[in-house]
Amino acid sequence: MTKPSPFAVRGRRALMIMKDERDIALLRRQFDRLGMSVIEAEPAQSQLPPDPVDVIVLDADSIPIKSDCALSWKINSPIIALIGTETPSRLKWLLDLQPASFLVKPLRSAGLYTALVVAFDCAQRRIEEAAHVERLEDRIRSRRIVVAAVLQLIRAHALSEEDAFTLIRQTAMRYRTTIEQLSVEIIAVGGMPNRTSRTA
Amino acid sequence: MTKPSIPLGLVFSRSGPYAMMAREMEKSALMAVDEVNRSGEFDFTFVPHLRDPGGVVAAYHACCDNLIREEQVEHIVGCYTSASRKQVIPIVERTERLLWHPARYEGFESSDNVIYVGAAPNHTVVPLVRHMLDRIASEVFCAGSNYVWTWESNRVLREIVSGAGGRILAERLLELGDTAVDHIVNEIIDRKPPAVFNTLVGESSYAFMRALHAASQRAGLSIPVLSCSLCEPELKMIGPAASVGCITSSAYFESIEGAENRAFVARWKARHGTDSNLSVDGQSTYVCVMLLARAIRRAGSTDVAAVRRAAANHRYDSPQGPVWVDPANNHCFLTPRLARSVQGSQFEIFWEAEAPERPDPYLSDLDLASFARPDKASETTLRRGSHLRVVK
Repeated sequence: MTKPSPFAVRGRRALMIMKDERDIALLRRQFDRLGMSVIEAEPAQSQLPPDPVDVIVLDADSIPIKSDCALSWKINSPIIALIGTETPSRLKWLLDLQPASFLVKPLRSAGLYTALVVAFDCAQRRIEEAAHVERLEDRIRSRRIVVAAVLQLIRAHALSEEDAFTLIRQTAMRYRTTIEQLSVEIIAVGGMPNRTSRTA
Repeated sequence: MTKPSIPLGLVFSRSGPYAMMAREMEKSALMAVDEVNRSGEFDFTFVPHLRDPGGVVAAYHACCDNLIREEQVEHIVGCYTSASRKQVIPIVERTERLLWHPARYEGFESSDNVIYVGAAPNHTVVPLVRHMLDRIASEVFCAGSNYVWTWESNRVLREIVSGAGGRILAERLLELGDTAVDHIVNEIIDRKPPAVFNTLVGESSYAFMRALHAASQRAGLSIPVLSCSLCEPELKMIGPAASVGCITSSAYFESIEGAENRAFVARWKARHGTDSNLSVDGQSTYVCVMLLARAIRRAGSTDVAAVRRAAANHRYDSPQGPVWVDPANNHCFLTPRLARSVQGSQFEIFWEAEAPERPDPYLSDLDLASFARPDKASETTLRRGSHLRVVK
């Protein structure tokens, strides 16, 4: 699958959670120019529209800090925060929503495109980083198995720890499988399996 | 020869949720305008153009737009809430006009097109918290209105108090205008906190003060209430019994000694009646007009850049004492004061800073290490901070 370019905004869909009519009109015009479609939601509502969107534009000042509504939203799309008040109490609230980018009010016609590109790029990187972290966590979880396999080979074949690990690594490479998968098999048969066919 | 006249925009919400305070501010602005116009010290007169946005945030933009386009004003005095100021800032920045803002606010803003005459957070919440930690308690119950002033005041309070080893016992919020205060008052009576920090505004605050006073009397309790916003006309709204004993931080109280203030109060009472009271915001609005008039005189022009330059560092001996604009951030040097509310809708000042304090809107100079670490063994400490200067 090719990665979507963050610069390609045409056809994407934005959700505007805003109150100020002039700001809404300004952004709507700008989204039109960019070829994006827009839906709107009231800042006070407890649930967001079910339609999937590519980005959310959220006017931070339109939602009281101590209300639960924004926290109850299931947000999967990157957020562009519109910032008027720069007090730390407001910014702390905003950080909890993990905005992907922001625009400072008063809004102008310039700036939205940059904010969108940064938000899309940020969202893409977050997806990639999450996948990377998942792979790493898998490997950490299987470390226990690799260690058990190394111990198995040390006992069964009287190898040093280093030689046992080298043997597992080379065998895994030869059979085009992963160290983790081969370790599972070593533990299952109590020693290096006698493999005649390639797995994986 | 008649003096040249200068149009002056006055934007106050005479109707709407904070009409009471806004009317006080407008009265002060008009009094200052009259004094300037009658004075031989100024070779111009102000022509006030009044606008009432009715407390509707979006209406502030239209009011200022109209003042600038139709009345050709270069200077506007007005706004009370931060939400309204944020509406006005884009238009004064775009058209290079100057907004003279009288009300204290929570800070974290600094526009070249606003002169912030009201107190910055280092003038209000910081000295109040210092006093609380030094003299009252290190644990506090917070009751406030659900908006930016409370959020930010409570954040500063929390930061200082927890840095000093103390604790916020609870933070209870009411929507603006809500007067259903009983659940908060009941919780306070149940938990008996050593102090209550009140950032409620308007009717919510008056209802809360009355209900807390009544409940405390029934329970035989006396819990100190602290505020950064209560002013004399509000004490009157709360009523004679419940308004007494509140510890308040402000740059202005009607009871300030000194010739300037005594004369100012006398002129005010002559104009508005002996039973009327001044307020910090009213006095600050008067100061706005006077700072503007002096800057125009000094600049010899109403041009915004020239006026801004002329206002910078130019000391004015106002009713609240010496005031001048810090050109670094367009906020004012002011003298913080602490007072206790007493009978007769007045405040008895018990501490004031030795000199006007530099405004610090971003609290970048706030030194958390300078706050007392109260003795955790006892709820109250009676250590005296060296910064305290007792004036009464």
